[in-house]
Amino acid sequence: MYSSLVRLQNTFGFFTTVAFVVALLISASDFLSPRTPTVNVLKTTQLQTVKGRADYYSSKKEEYAIIKFTLDADLSSLFTWNTKQVFAYVTAEWPSAQNNNATNQAVIWDTIITAPSSDHLGNFSPSKLKRLRKSANGKGIDPSRGKLQLKNQRLKYPLTHPTGRLANTEDVQLKLHYNVQPWVGFLSWNQAQDWGKWKALKNGLSKKFTLPAIKVKEQAKKKTTRA
Amino acid sequence: MLSALGNPRQAAAQLMNFGLILSTAFMMWKGLSVISDSPSPIVVVLSGSMEPAFQRGDLLLLWNRNLFTETSVGEVVVYNVRDKDIPIVHRVISKFGTGFVIPRQWWLFMGIYNNDSDDTKLYAPGQNYLVREDIIGRSVVGYMPFVGYVTIMLSEHPWMKTVMLGIMGLVVVLQRE
Repeated sequence: MYSSLVRLQNTFGFFTTVAFVVALLISASDFLSPRTPTVNVLKTTQLQTVKGRADYYSSKKEEYAIIKFTLDADLSSLFTWNTKQVFAYVTAEWPSAQNNNATNQAVIWDTIITAPSSDHLGNFSPSKLKRLRKSANGKGIDPSRGKLQLKNQRLKYPLTHPTGRLANTEDVQLKLHYNVQPWVGFLSWNQAQDWGKWKALKNGLSKKFTLPAIKVKEQAKKKTTRA
Repeated sequence: MLSALGNPRQAAAQLMNFGLILSTAFMMWKGLSVISDSPSPIVVVLSGSMEPAFQRGDLLLLWNRNLFTETSVGEVVVYNVRDKDIPIVHRVISKFGTGFVIPRQWWLFMGIYNNDSDDTKLYAPGQNYLVREDIIGRSVVGYMPFVGYVTIMLSEHPWMKTVMLGIMGLVVVLQRE
């Protein structure tokens, strides 16, 4: 009954139970810390629709949009002791003209904001890692990293549509989203409504805009030379 | 162990016990599968493509129902490429098309982390996008680090599987109650 094997088994069983309970408590603590992300500014500063190859790998010429935007958001309340990183991203969304049920959603820009405790996990260059470490100043939690300030930010991913057509698309809106990646625990995806202490992201939508008609590159060049 | 062999009643009880453990584990897995509506509700991250969010060996809990919200862009989903049975964990980069109660949608995916390009090169030949049915977990809802590393060890070093099964069998046989 009390062989060493049984003891080993019991010890291991106890260890896993304790580890699991601690993990559960840590993840439950997330719900106690308020999340109040705010967006101050989200607007487009440049709009253009071009026909061509959207990126190096695309095989066909299609219409793609060139958008620049300005973003000022404060996500610092998302950084708690259980936050490993925050993934913030901006999407372009628009309703479909022909079909009411159609979705058009695409990520156009994103960033990973690591908490100082997870800096070593990111694929950062040594110089950037050094800079991040210095900015954290030895702290494990650094909410100031949650302040996003972008000016005339270019798209990170080309905005195209499977039909190949994008020009004159109406009611396009940019939207900021975020996703908190915990060290252990639950991931939430719905930021549109309040969840206890987690407040909905307000003001995260830009004004509706229409993508301009195609501007052929050659013509644009001629115009500039004439002027 | 010898006494167990000598006592058929005890041997049968131990066999029963072993069967009970196996069936309990199986039922828990299937139960979770029914609740989450996913063929594999818990997956182990096999590659480093989602670093720094997920490392190899991390355990992900999946949810595959669209009760209140549609699957939307930015969510980390787990999908299977057609004709391949390897679950891939990546983010939805874009979503175009129509969706009804059982959505059949146009999808494109991306491993936003390491390669910054979309996943279409991972798809089967002729497959340019994914539809809802390709997804086995519409989003990752729970995360536990490192626990799944055991399974990676087991699949990368097959001899460990034999050893572990041997030890498990020994423990069950040696257990006397």
